[in-house]
Amino acid sequence: MLTNQKIKVAKWYLLGLFILAGTIVNAQQRKITGKITSSTDSMGLPGANVIVKGTSTGVSSDIDGSYSIVISDNKTVLVFNYVGYATKEIPVGDSNVINISLSLGVGSLEEVVVVGYGTRKKSDMTGSVSKVKTSELTAYPVLSSEQALQGRAAGVNVQSNNGGEPGAPVKIRIRGGNSINASGDALIVVDGFVGASMPAPEDVASMDILKDASATAIYGSRGSNGVILVTSKKGKSGKTTIEFSNSTSTQQVNNDLDLLNTDQFYNYYKNILPTYKRGTANTDWQSEIYRPGFVSNTQLSFSGGTDAIKYYVSGNYFNQQGVIINSGLERYTMLSNLDATITSKLKVGLNFFKSHIANNGIISQTNSGGTGSAGVVSSAYRFVPDLGIYDTAGVYTLNTVGDVIDNPYATAVENVNDRINDANRINFYAAYDIVKGLEFKTTFGLSSETNQYGKYQPSTVVAAKALKGIGSIFNSSQTTIISENYLTYKTDLWIGKFTALGGYSYQKNEFESSTAAASGFVTDSFSYHNLGGGAIPIKPQSNATTSELASLFGRINYDIKEKYLFTFTGRRDGSSSFSKNYKYGFFPSGAIGWNVNKESFLENSETISNLKLRASYGLTGNPSIAPYETLAKYSDIYASSGDISVNAVVPTNFANDNLKWETTYQWNFGLDLGLFTGRINLSVDYYMSETKDLLFSKPLPSYIGIPNPVQTQNIGELENKGLEFSLNTKNIISDSFIWSTDFNIAFNKNKILKLPDNNADVRYATAPASFLQPDSQVLRVGQPVGAFYGYIYDGVIQTPRTNLTSFTGFEIAPGGENFRDVNGDNILNSSDKTIIGDPNPDFILGFNNDFKYKNFDMNIFFQGSVGGDILSYTLLELASGTANATTDALNAWTTTNTDTDVPSAKVRTKFISSRFVYDASYIRLKNISVGYNLPKDFVTRIGLSRARFYVSAQNLWTLTKYPGADPEVNYLNNSNQNSNRNLGLDYGSYPNIESITLGFNLTF
Amino acid sequence: MKKYILLLLLGSFTVGCTDLEEKPVGLIDPATYYNNTSELQAAVNGSYGLMSAEKYWGRALTLTLLLRSDMCDIGNTATNVERREVNNFSVNDNNGLITPLWQQSYSIIGAANQAIDGSKKITGDQAKINAIVAEAYFYRAFAYYNLVRLFGSIPYIDFAVKDILTVSTISKTAEAEVYKKIIADLEFAKLWLPNKATVKAKPSKGTAAAYLSSLYLTLGNFPKAYDEAKYVITNEAAFGLGLETDYQDLFNSAKALSLKEPLFTIDYTNIELGDQGRDFQGFLTGIDLDKTYAWGGGFSVAVPSLKVYNSWDQRDYRRAVSFDTVMRATATSAPIPYTAFTSAIAPKRPHIAKYQRLAGPAGLNGRTSSNNYATMRYAEVLLTAAEALNEVSPGTAEANGYLNRILTRARNKAGKIVSYPPNVAIGLSQSDFRKAVLEQRRLELAFEFGRWFDIKRLKIGVEAFGATGYEPQSKFDVSKHYYFPFPAIDITRNPNLAPNNPF
Repeated sequence: MLTNQKIKVAKWYLLGLFILAGTIVNAQQRKITGKITSSTDSMGLPGANVIVKGTSTGVSSDIDGSYSIVISDNKTVLVFNYVGYATKEIPVGDSNVINISLSLGVGSLEEVVVVGYGTRKKSDMTGSVSKVKTSELTAYPVLSSEQALQGRAAGVNVQSNNGGEPGAPVKIRIRGGNSINASGDALIVVDGFVGASMPAPEDVASMDILKDASATAIYGSRGSNGVILVTSKKGKSGKTTIEFSNSTSTQQVNNDLDLLNTDQFYNYYKNILPTYKRGTANTDWQSEIYRPGFVSNTQLSFSGGTDAIKYYVSGNYFNQQGVIINSGLERYTMLSNLDATITSKLKVGLNFFKSHIANNGIISQTNSGGTGSAGVVSSAYRFVPDLGIYDTAGVYTLNTVGDVIDNPYATAVENVNDRINDANRINFYAAYDIVKGLEFKTTFGLSSETNQYGKYQPSTVVAAKALKGIGSIFNSSQTTIISENYLTYKTDLWIGKFTALGGYSYQKNEFESSTAAASGFVTDSFSYHNLGGGAIPIKPQSNATTSELASLFGRINYDIKEKYLFTFTGRRDGSSSFSKNYKYGFFPSGAIGWNVNKESFLENSETISNLKLRASYGLTGNPSIAPYETLAKYSDIYASSGDISVNAVVPTNFANDNLKWETTYQWNFGLDLGLFTGRINLSVDYYMSETKDLLFSKPLPSYIGIPNPVQTQNIGELENKGLEFSLNTKNIISDSFIWSTDFNIAFNKNKILKLPDNNADVRYATAPASFLQPDSQVLRVGQPVGAFYGYIYDGVIQTPRTNLTSFTGFEIAPGGENFRDVNGDNILNSSDKTIIGDPNPDFILGFNNDFKYKNFDMNIFFQGSVGGDILSYTLLELASGTANATTDALNAWTTTNTDTDVPSAKVRTKFISSRFVYDASYIRLKNISVGYNLPKDFVTRIGLSRARFYVSAQNLWTLTKYPGADPEVNYLNNSNQNSNRNLGLDYGSYPNIESITLGFNLTF
Repeated sequence: MKKYILLLLLGSFTVGCTDLEEKPVGLIDPATYYNNTSELQAAVNGSYGLMSAEKYWGRALTLTLLLRSDMCDIGNTATNVERREVNNFSVNDNNGLITPLWQQSYSIIGAANQAIDGSKKITGDQAKINAIVAEAYFYRAFAYYNLVRLFGSIPYIDFAVKDILTVSTISKTAEAEVYKKIIADLEFAKLWLPNKATVKAKPSKGTAAAYLSSLYLTLGNFPKAYDEAKYVITNEAAFGLGLETDYQDLFNSAKALSLKEPLFTIDYTNIELGDQGRDFQGFLTGIDLDKTYAWGGGFSVAVPSLKVYNSWDQRDYRRAVSFDTVMRATATSAPIPYTAFTSAIAPKRPHIAKYQRLAGPAGLNGRTSSNNYATMRYAEVLLTAAEALNEVSPGTAEANGYLNRILTRARNKAGKIVSYPPNVAIGLSQSDFRKAVLEQRRLELAFEFGRWFDIKRLKIGVEAFGATGYEPQSKFDVSKHYYFPFPAIDITRNPNLAPNNPF
């Protein structure tokens, strides 16, 4: 709690820092300058690291390869490293200028890896961490940094939840899903701010993805889904660098469905309804709603500084016109990093972030699809082709088969769906070297995020016609305060180097939301901006929660002769949301590493330049317990008596004093191999993780007496096992031609070990409400999460199924759907449902090739997912006889066309069956680009230091057998639970897009 | 310098002091609730409010009762299997209508139990407290009365559950025992409820007595059934009861609040919040693609067989009120007779009109209507009195009189008095009079969700679903089908509930 007294102290704290900022640089120090070049072409190496050995102090070279660093004495040794080049160490001595030439070779070993609350040399790492560089994140324009991660790191599965929708949510799973009902999202830490939103890809210097328990345990109860540490770009001392980049993309839908035209539709539908009256139009609804999309992405940044103050300031504008009419998005972001070296001992810094995203959306992936509630895409598929947009009276047409829905054009242009997101974040740090080897660091961060969702359904659409318009605004705000303080101590101890870290962290989240809504508007022009103008107010709602997290954390590293590495990590988290009896959880981990190549027998090997074995074990948690969830509760419900709304409360929750976090127990075994002086680098990791105490809504006896008779308890268990490979090769390195390849592939196997009610199946339904279908998926012990559950389709019935004694609701006549009587009891009913598909991919992969020839560069990047299944509600609906159909319907069973697997034309119950389960495997050419750097002497003449122009294409080619629009689908991923267990579902998703991009980067 | 460092340390550590105690806002903690009668009333209202959910009166209970009877069949033959299974006697122990109605019944009971338990914490005028809590006793009795008739022996819980373990191994209570407990609750309600409630959505003395009469009739205790019904009839004026003059007014949402005939209503106000306030009756019974009403057509799910319509004397005004026989392609276009309905899913049969015709304002397809459903009407009390009296002492003018009141009202054809249906013949034998009463129950209360209970009570299923019945159902098995199976999952969780009903 922030009492007055504490606020006062906090004020002093800030004041103190401003005073400190004014003190002068210590006089004993001196400056070393120089230039770092490549031995192959003597060109400057921009962004090379210069580090004072034995400390974390360092600078990076500027665009020419020049650097400048302040040192405190002559004994200092400077370490120069650059990715792909051999590291060099130079004692400073008396020189003030040190120019250095680095040669290609064993470079990546000395890459610095960001870990929680610190950094480590890659060669000292014992955990499993993947690094993604800025060049990979900005290879092609994407809205969010999350999207840019797709295919870049082994074991990191990234998927859009809604195809190419501008601003579609992105789902990230690291090493499979470790939970069923709790959040499966990785923890995102931006420059030390835990739980922050990511900056724009152009502002990210690197992302380090912590995967095993040894790496994530420092984040304790929030670590089990992996951690993504984002480091934003920082200023470097030296000449101011101005970078300006711009790209423009044109986009189009990457795949249409082949639907019936008017003639075909009429011939098909008259079999279903002989009295069907044919309309006069012939409309291709997909072409009515799709249009060329457009993305423009502009970034301007300034960076530079002196030895004392360094800065990075950037602004970014992203504008997207979606490929569906009336959809688009605009985003503005600003990021600024200031770092000040106040004395040789004291450094402070401030990180500012602000973003504003305005998203003008259309409705897609609606989960009803019934009267008046279809999404734009699904209605474009469903709507009859024999009607136009307007009828003869100029009124929007309505579907004449199936549920009454608006036509897709009307749905897209009439409905208003505006989302506005504002995020602000300020993070302050101060680091102080108390004595040699002992550093104290404190951070204080404040962030706020607001979301507004404004919605208006005008009187011109079915859903709001009788009500004369329905408008609503949802507002939410979240404020986070975070304060972290920790000490790092480094010393030589006995035969090795000892590093210890210990600290305290406090975080508080305050969330508030409210909704206002009304209907009955005199004019549609109010949209949702004048809800008071609605004659009928709709009950307002509001909600507020507060949660606090207080933690102690620590880590010990002990490295013996750089050969034997030991890491121990632990965190104790206390959360206000945890139950009475389990307020605190402890999450320890340990790891060992052995740099085999440093042993005498390999030290001089020409072939093996690096060989490391790693092993780790640890516990991490998943805290997804909502505030107040463990308390007994009465809730208000809507009730009217005599047509007047009255206060009414009902019991909704029993107290739950023993609820605790989920715990993941993870083993990791890794091998890093470098061959031929680093030309070939291979990392292999094998992991086994078991998550216990899964948070499960345990169904209570249904007679218990509350409206939703479930209670969250720690019941289930889940296992993930997997193997990850990443291979980086420098295939050709010559003066004029460089070809390098990054390949990663990850296999994961997910298995449920334990479920509530003595391992009873947990069945759940996800078919759109208008399908009226129960249970489409099942959680079953021994099976992966998200298995599809339905009937087995054995083709079309050819002879009457007279052996069935009972078959309510099913067809037995020729031409019908032939569902297997799985249990052979001659009764066809829900007992014959079985597992009909597994949406989890066998493996995911990324394959990247970079080529450089003189001033040209080229990038070819493939990404894929293989072995999962899709259950397509879209295709099921189109085959049900209550909609337009795909051209499959032309091959429907008739008495003269019996050799087919498409049943006769008929209105059918929308049974979930293997008929609509497909192989979801795909390999996609995610990006191909060619760039050209203008010759150095030319750009210098026009006042630039670098100018690159490029052309690229995204999603140009996809290899898949899926007959739907696109296999990268995630229908109904709108909650923690849904995003874990609804995998591989397709229904009316916003289509995926292919784009052509032209762009340039200029550096001044 | 050192001073600032100290400040840094102090400042950063003090920000994070916390005891991790939750101080929720915007929630109700049951431990500190029940301080006064208005808090009690809100808890009582909770029990009532849960009845207007989709999981109870809005669909699950009412559609089950409608389809199970011989008065209403499946319309759209491609509708959900769970509905077709209820209709054709092939439900299993995991039915999508039965499971929610079973569970929601217990939510209503659970909320009533909490209120009854909580009332003991309130001090003050005990009569005033009793008058409020008597409503909860009635709601509990109402929910159990429906449950016991559907399932027979059931778990009977009459205390506020605070710890899950107290009921996780509970056994079933025998059917006869459950009836006794319902009678006790209704007696308490009858004692403490007012003569006349402020609105029909609240029970009154008459409501409790009328339900007692219905319950005794179900048990075949005719003298008591007659006594309770007679008590209501005797106090007709004092209890604010009577018959409406125009039968159509009973199904006109605009007149719902001024009706005297209902004994208890479940109110809908064209507002839904989550599952609350959801009414799907018009949606389920209306004609697919019909544009007659502003809120659109229905989904032709529950549609009576043609025989129900054809066998009903066309002179009977109540038939016209009960059925819609035409649809329209637009609000103003010419009516299309049912023989020429143009929908792929609507059967060519007249559809139920009671819940769709005057349901407005209503949501799409008649969802979230403004209907106020009478769970029992005064007409039923008269019919119960007539039936019970005929069993106790046949051939009385009093019994004839009760029946004639209903027939007389039926002759008022929207203000114009017609000659059909005539009064009941004088001097009918006991069995003929019994038949006449039952026939009037079938027609007068058509589609009002009571027919299945009559079939079960009188054990006339073989006849009702036989070849000459209104809705032949070959799967009807007299040894099984007077009870529904309850959700098997509850036996899995609590084996003491075995065995489930035969099915």
